[in-house]
Amino acid sequence: MARPAFWKVDRPEEGGPRLAHLDRDRRLVEAAQADPARFEALYRKYLAQVYSYAFYELRDHHEAEDATERTFLAALTNLGRFEERARPADGEGASTFRVWLFQIARNAVAERRRRRQRRPEAPLEAAAAVAAPIDLEADAALHDDAAAAWRAVGRLTGDRRRALILRFVDEMSTAEIAGVLGRSEGAVRVLIHRALRSVARDLDDPSR
Amino acid sequence: MTSASAGRDGSEVDALITDRYLEALLAAHARGADHGPAAAEPPAPIRLAADRLARDLPRFHPSFRFEEALAARLAEAAARMDLRAAAGAEGLVVPLPGRVHDALPGADPAVDAAAAVDAAVDDPRSGIGRPLLIGGALTSAALSIAGAAYVAWRLNRPPASAMARAARAVARTRPV
Repeated sequence: MARPAFWKVDRPEEGGPRLAHLDRDRRLVEAAQADPARFEALYRKYLAQVYSYAFYELRDHHEAEDATERTFLAALTNLGRFEERARPADGEGASTFRVWLFQIARNAVAERRRRRQRRPEAPLEAAAAVAAPIDLEADAALHDDAAAAWRAVGRLTGDRRRALILRFVDEMSTAEIAGVLGRSEGAVRVLIHRALRSVARDLDDPSR
Repeated sequence: MTSASAGRDGSEVDALITDRYLEALLAAHARGADHGPAAAEPPAPIRLAADRLARDLPRFHPSFRFEEALAARLAEAAARMDLRAAAGAEGLVVPLPGRVHDALPGADPAVDAAAAVDAAVDDPRSGIGRPLLIGGALTSAALSIAGAAYVAWRLNRPPASAMARAARAVARTRPV
């Protein structure tokens, strides 16, 4: 991860030097705010992370693509209102842009879930099949260990599952996960600890 | 877990220990290590579960086709945003005929602009009776307040006809 840096942002004629925290995405975000065409750099950087999160949550490639598309379009449209607020205390590589982006992704995924539940033509069995811990395509692609880990995470409930995905797949810090889930850092640490206990029991269980 | 870990505070302490272990574990994996760091805490089942998730949980990438299609959609949306910004946020001053600037080299830019407006108002071929601004307010730095006042005055005073201009020219040349 990129090391947080400090740089001078003043011009010589404006008096003494002023230091501002430069987080990982600040320059990319400012460039995109000035010229929306430059949003592409942020898109390429975070596409796989957002897509992975959506795929773990929705367990369906098409729905994950739809949620990913909505996430980036919403982020681009609202980028002018976003303000980078990462501080040195937030840790290495902290980015409030990433937190903001994943908050949008979380809403997009929730919207997809609501739509799935509302969809009148989809019978309950079909919804359950889509929401099953693993689909055939993923099953074929994963070897046994990966499939077992995927299933164990899929059996976790709500925020426990989200916290583990964000921690292990997207490699977010506790502070970033707290921002995405709207919880305190302490609550997120407890959530992850308990989720790992559940996963440990699940992976030990030979019947699984 | 220790006896002190009973209750809420104990859970938070255990969770903090697990969190520190995960920091070290994910950093080790980022460096390419096969195993997590050696540690006495957290308890072995949690360490093993964390090791397996760090090692085995796959990351997914969408198809190249989807990636490029979405990139194209974002580029279209960005272009629309640019157009909206150009139409609403900042005024765009359309260039006026250059012959006026040619005739007044080195003049004050504000005067230049006012003269350009004057020429455009007078010139029936120009097709415009005033400077054309697309969106927003008049923000050109080339127009000072004095220039703007001149424009307002000139617009409220219709240009003289060709006959009137000829009569004034004759009057100026006539000896008093």
